[in-house]
Amino acid sequence: MAEVDAQIILRMGSHSEKEYVEKLIHLFDGVSIGANLVEATPGATASLLVKISGKKKQIPFYFDPMTYAYGSYIDPQTGKVRNDLDWIKSDQKKKGQTVRDFKRSYRKLADTLGPPFDTALSRKSAITPEDFATPDVLRKACQSIANYQLARLRDEFANDPEYAEFADLVPAPQVVFAPYFYIEPSQDDDWLNLTLRMAAETAHLGLGSPTHMVLCAPDHYLANGKFLRALASEIPKTGVEGVWLWFSRFDEYTAEAGELKALRRLVEDLSKSVKVFNMHGSFFSLALSKFGLSGISHGVGYGEQKDVVPVIGQSTPTVRYYLPTLRRRLSVPEIELCFRRLGIKSPKDFYTSICDCAICKGVITKDLAQFAEFGERHFSTPRSKRLAQTPAAAKRCRFHFLLNRNLERSWVRQADINDILERLRSAAERWKLTTLSSQAQRLLIWESVLR
Amino acid sequence: MPYLREQELLSPVANYTKRKGYTLQAFELPFYDYRIDLYGFSTKASKTVAVELKLRKWKRAVEQARIYQLCSDFVYIALPTSAVTQIDEEALRKSGIGLIAVCKNGCRTLVEAKRSIEVREHYRGPYISMLSGGGNGRG
Repeated sequence: MAEVDAQIILRMGSHSEKEYVEKLIHLFDGVSIGANLVEATPGATASLLVKISGKKKQIPFYFDPMTYAYGSYIDPQTGKVRNDLDWIKSDQKKKGQTVRDFKRSYRKLADTLGPPFDTALSRKSAITPEDFATPDVLRKACQSIANYQLARLRDEFANDPEYAEFADLVPAPQVVFAPYFYIEPSQDDDWLNLTLRMAAETAHLGLGSPTHMVLCAPDHYLANGKFLRALASEIPKTGVEGVWLWFSRFDEYTAEAGELKALRRLVEDLSKSVKVFNMHGSFFSLALSKFGLSGISHGVGYGEQKDVVPVIGQSTPTVRYYLPTLRRRLSVPEIELCFRRLGIKSPKDFYTSICDCAICKGVITKDLAQFAEFGERHFSTPRSKRLAQTPAAAKRCRFHFLLNRNLERSWVRQADINDILERLRSAAERWKLTTLSSQAQRLLIWESVLR
Repeated sequence: MPYLREQELLSPVANYTKRKGYTLQAFELPFYDYRIDLYGFSTKASKTVAVELKLRKWKRAVEQARIYQLCSDFVYIALPTSAVTQIDEEALRKSGIGLIAVCKNGCRTLVEAKRSIEVREHYRGPYISMLSGGGNGRG
């Protein structure tokens, strides 16, 4: 078993998360940014990366080309395959009318990447494996996507007379990702084959940067032995140096032991020849570093699991409090209800039993009741009918989570697997008498898989 | 006629709890991500009650009721009489949650709630103040 020092790559989903990245990125191992964000705000993104990944700080950055957004997907409402690219569209006001059209960032990205991305938008239907039928199209697409990652941000500065002299300060990404698409089940062999061909093609372009690939598949494929065997045997042959696993909607907190075991086995198999990352992972994946996982990536407040289809039309979710001992986010009242059973009566008890990070110590100073500030609510507008978490409370939860995630990574690095198992067992034991006993029991599932 | 909507349970339960002294009442009171179907205050006895209405899913009702024990002295779940036979009354007693059965003729308490040992004044107090006319929480 190849033990690895686990890395955490923070994924920045929007510029509203810039504050977290700027303040805390020094605690982590890199930052990842999606191409859609770059196209939405190229200047701001380039400036941020010069600041955090430039010569002074040199925090590695990863540039997700987001090519999967142009493929087909399963509609979560109907369960049917959709090829209409609707998920990268939005309702837009044009000449006084509301029309549903492609989001500007995805249109710009497609125009920059060229065929078959721009042609997919022109014909208004998703890319299919057949679009890459000829080796020439495949090679050109891989080259274009590699060039995009290597040059897009630098060009943003170079093409601006005011910033041109700083173009060389724009850092290059740590790796180049091959294009990737969601392995949609009705054509899974074709999509997998295409993913592998694109990975191999990119790896052999002679880019001078390591090539990584992304394997994006439905979560239930972790129960598909044939598929997993194909990954273990075929990915190493592509010549890539790393693979990022993304099992859509796979949730380590609710997954069955069998699925978690399958993930562990896949990591063990693949890590013999390539670096393996979990693109959206939790503490469980951090612990998989003891079995070869090189690292995980997640957002500043969410993202330990992710569906390829973005959630649309829901109100902003509450950022819940990350309970370090149970390694998961829970609502403030759920946690508060456990205080009595755990003998938590004072802020000091809280620091000992729950968390003593700088945020918690700053919030809970005199009275345990101050814990409620992590869930503080207000009517966000005069017309609001429902209370929503205040931005300040959401910020507290995010900073607290990030500080704890950093501590977890540092601890996992120096712990051995037996320390991790013991920590999971003791937390489950301590919390089993509380109203969070079922969540505590989940730790024992992790423990059994990691044993 | 069976109840088709939870909302149909509200009026009989509101009247029932009023008769029990909880004359000041609020419906759909927000508590974090939850909405308490009925929250009442008895000025005479200075005690509060929270009631979660459900047509069938009693386990879900208990989960919510447990949370409400943080903000109310007494907490009940209320279901149609036809649905209460499946409920584990012993489990309710253990957690101190009461049970109200609702039928067309009115309501009946099948399990008395125990006074919550989890109640927090920082939640309970503002609700009492709001019900007593001290504001509706909209700042």
